[in-house]
Amino acid sequence: MSINRRFFLKSSGIALAGFGLMQSAPSFLERIALADGKAGSGRRKTLITIFQRGAVDGLNMVVPHGDKNYYSLRPTLAVPQPKQGNESALDLDGFFGLHPSLGVLKPLWDAKRLAIVDAVGSPDNTRSHFDAQDYMESATPGVKSTRDGWLNRYLQSNPDTKATPFRAVSMTQNLPRTLQGRAPAVAISNLSDFTIQAGTSSASLQGGFESIYAQGVNDVLQGTGKETFEAVNYLKKINPAQFKPENGAQYPRNQFGNALLQISQLIKAGVGLEVAFTDTPGLNWDTHFNQGNSRGQLANLLLQFGAGLNALVTDLGKHMDDVVILTMSEFGRTVRENGTRGTDHGHANAMFVIGNSVGGGKVYGDWPGLGGDQLYEGRDLALTTDFRDIFAEVAQKHLGSTKMDKVFPGYATSTSKYRGVI
Amino acid sequence: MVFVMKAFKNFARRAAALFSLLAVLSATFFVGASAQQTKQKPRLSEDQLILHVLNRLGFGARPGDVERVRALGVENYIKQQLNPASISDEVADAKVRNLPVLSMSTAELYAKYPNPGLLLRQLQREGKLPEDLAQLRDERNGIAAQPNAKDSGAMSKDDAKSGDEMKAPSDRSEYRRAIRDYYIKNNLRPPQQLIQELHASRILRAVYSERQLQEVLVDFWTNHFNVFAGKGADRWLLVSYDRDTIRPHTMGKFRDLLLATAQSPAMLFYLDNFQSVSPDAPQGGARQNRRQFEQGQRGGLQGMPGGQGMGRGLGRGLGRGLGQADRDLRQEARRREQQDNPEMSKEQQQGQRAKRGINENYARELMELHTLGVDGGYTQKDVQEVARCFTGWTIFDPRGISSRVAPQMADQAGKFYFNPRLHDDGEKLVLGHKIPAGGGINDGLMVLDILSKHPSTAKFIATKLAVKFVTDNPSPSLVERIASAYTRSDGDIRETLRAIFTTPEFIAPDMYRAKIKTPFELAVSAVRTLGGETNGGPAFHQWIARMGEPIYGYQAPTGYPDTAEDWVNTGALLERLNFGLALANNRIPGTRVNLDRFATDGKSASADKTQTMERFLAVLLQGDVSPNTRQTLLKQVSEPLPEMTEKSAKAGAMDDEDEALLTDAPPRGRRELARADFGPINSEMVKIVGLILGSPEFQRQ
Repeated sequence: MSINRRFFLKSSGIALAGFGLMQSAPSFLERIALADGKAGSGRRKTLITIFQRGAVDGLNMVVPHGDKNYYSLRPTLAVPQPKQGNESALDLDGFFGLHPSLGVLKPLWDAKRLAIVDAVGSPDNTRSHFDAQDYMESATPGVKSTRDGWLNRYLQSNPDTKATPFRAVSMTQNLPRTLQGRAPAVAISNLSDFTIQAGTSSASLQGGFESIYAQGVNDVLQGTGKETFEAVNYLKKINPAQFKPENGAQYPRNQFGNALLQISQLIKAGVGLEVAFTDTPGLNWDTHFNQGNSRGQLANLLLQFGAGLNALVTDLGKHMDDVVILTMSEFGRTVRENGTRGTDHGHANAMFVIGNSVGGGKVYGDWPGLGGDQLYEGRDLALTTDFRDIFAEVAQKHLGSTKMDKVFPGYATSTSKYRGVI
Repeated sequence: MVFVMKAFKNFARRAAALFSLLAVLSATFFVGASAQQTKQKPRLSEDQLILHVLNRLGFGARPGDVERVRALGVENYIKQQLNPASISDEVADAKVRNLPVLSMSTAELYAKYPNPGLLLRQLQREGKLPEDLAQLRDERNGIAAQPNAKDSGAMSKDDAKSGDEMKAPSDRSEYRRAIRDYYIKNNLRPPQQLIQELHASRILRAVYSERQLQEVLVDFWTNHFNVFAGKGADRWLLVSYDRDTIRPHTMGKFRDLLLATAQSPAMLFYLDNFQSVSPDAPQGGARQNRRQFEQGQRGGLQGMPGGQGMGRGLGRGLGRGLGQADRDLRQEARRREQQDNPEMSKEQQQGQRAKRGINENYARELMELHTLGVDGGYTQKDVQEVARCFTGWTIFDPRGISSRVAPQMADQAGKFYFNPRLHDDGEKLVLGHKIPAGGGINDGLMVLDILSKHPSTAKFIATKLAVKFVTDNPSPSLVERIASAYTRSDGDIRETLRAIFTTPEFIAPDMYRAKIKTPFELAVSAVRTLGGETNGGPAFHQWIARMGEPIYGYQAPTGYPDTAEDWVNTGALLERLNFGLALANNRIPGTRVNLDRFATDGKSASADKTQTMERFLAVLLQGDVSPNTRQTLLKQVSEPLPEMTEKSAKAGAMDDEDEALLTDAPPRGRRELARADFGPINSEMVKIVGLILGSPEFQRQ
């Protein structure tokens, strides 16, 4: 292993002579080598979570066209039933349909790589974006003082001696609540920023820092310092930007597309990415006014959302054997349209689960109905699946999580509650 | 310890006696070269001691500080810092005088820095929304896109193929510009400016204030009683939170600080207590109105603990209770909402009302995070009972709509008041204490008394203070001594701090540079140490945020954790190194360091590189640095690695598409800030300073 490492340092193009990186115990690069699958540690599974902040209208994203109340409660917002022109819902199973903006996802559905969970969400009745996002990211509905996010607790409870600094990456400016906690996780909005930023002096100064941090290894600062530069050098060497979109994938040319592209690049580069996070920058799902139906505001948002997901799956190709994409949003929106042709904050919502290992082509969860007495608090889609059951299933079946009580404190997870999405 | 507690019934006099004893003891720790202690136990040198105190009680040493403290004496310095009122602070006061928000009431802030979305809706209701603005808003929301949506809206697979065609629904920047113009024309300011000024005030005071311990404690208590600026109205409420809630109470009785936070609109909003009402609270009806009108009047007058001055507004305006006025306001808001939503059904209205009831959030965090600690010995039943006690502790007009809906009450917007109509007046049992029925606002006050006197609180606060000021892993005996100082002094924060600063552990050699600076501490101390100047503006704050600690930017009520592991990870460390380089290279707009001032003989310091390096090691780290770091720096200055070519350096850089920060700074501005990080470094001096600022030694305090 140390041979690999030395070889890399020499070939990295950064002159390090005179600043010999000394011994190190568990080298990041050694772990990279182990993690790439050739060293017999098994292939690395990756979970990509995408948070639609602002509360997407799940009822128009996944249209319950078989429920007549949907049409009576949404006179101007409803998406027409399937087969009524190219603006109608794309039928999935005779009851549900995709919003026509999500046409690009239909082939994934047909290939059974896209599963949908409907009437899923938080048992807490808050209609505050802030609180609901907080609860979903901590996965402790109703408990605000939870210190860490659920994905971080997964990382903590499944320590990986071969973990790399890129085990958990958020493509955001700041670390989201989901990934906050004791386990290392990095927020990087642009991979190319993950370096010493000093213009023409960057390499020279990096050499200096490396040398300073190479001394002594007996504390967190020095250990992290060495780790950091190994990561920086590694990223520089593999140059993720070299991984151009493949298979004809076309990412939306905006921040959302850029975030997804970089996640794909990290996966292809084999940096040991296990948990990735992004929200949907630039896409505001909070459609109180003039939401639109098959066209309009939400249609435009979904167009970009779908295009991004499709590009990611297309680009990753065979990698999707080991990847699961999970989408979420803090709560759904009112079943009735409001007085400004929009929808207000509601309750249960819909989630997408995408991957080659996913039990796709099926809408999971029981449909509670949209009749007057079936609505939650008289106005919202009722909940039939706790979002933690989906998180737990993905964590356990895809990532191999074992300490479920640690990941979901105060919640009794059980395989019997799993919906079978994977 | 029980003995101590009992014995000090008449604590004031005796505690004073005890303190003087401790002071004598401590004097020997600090300066006395007591013969017994020499050699056997290594001790901090005098300079190390001074630096240690300047780092832990403050944000590092400015040029000349060490000498000043040496002349004054360390104990005198500590004594001074414990009495901030005795220190004149003209420089810092002058710096923050340029920040108008600091002296504005919440009502004034709502009027001057309105939320654009809310403002537009109000203008529309009043029929005052300018035509062009209305049109742009509709466009943004996708209405205008509909007529010609035939081409762009058709959702076939072909359309989705090209990413190029996927633009935002409409041109947001034009809309933004129109709003900005409206604000300028009407002499309004955007709300993000408000939070930027508040950030600036925190940074400026930390950098310039002579009352360093006060600023450290503002930081500490603000974090202990964390409030997140991103939650709704809290952006507007935080100004008062900093000025009226935290600052006046940093070193007083803990109970007073606790009460101030319990009655602060910022906390009431953040932890939802303003919405927490007795389930039995009446929900309307004309007959009830009259009765509650009278109650409200009485309640408004009696519900003013601690002279919050809430009664003031009663004489004016409608001459009625705030409770009644608040209800009028809500009814008016509801009426308007119904006007806007004519199809809103009865069910829907009921659905919205169904939210009313007890909210336990504040009660839980009050015990878990503010006082007892998670294992402090309370039950879920206690949480419920405490929540009942605080029903009716609410905010008048929390979002500041009264300026348009009820101008006569506008100056009351965003203030705390107790509404007895919403209070659960039954008997409660809290941690074994009976709280009799009919107590009104006194229920909550009693809870705060019980909690602040509770031994678990003493221990919890002692532990947090020990971690803050001494070590990440305080020994049980240290915690116990601090806790007993808290208990002895009836929860006096100043006396508790004094106990910490006089304990031998505080100045033990292995405590020297044992704490990792938080990003805020690192940024501020770097500027101070170099004698730099800053306006505390968004560019500087953005660096603090990038390193992981945006001010008022922690979402969860726990506040930022405060141990090394929490601050040191690869991403954050890299930002720390880059911050030091940006600062040394004067690449942070609004912040300047003049490295030439440290040149040894007035001319360019690069004349003798080794000398320069030693000079800056002295300035930044008092020359106290590991041989290895010195060796490396020496190597760096004598055999620098070759510079990259301009071209290869550029290849590493790219356009920054930073995500929206808390401040909602417009994208253009953000990109400028980001680009400013890059740039050639022409001077060896800058490199040396950048390396030292990034060294492990400078990350510590």
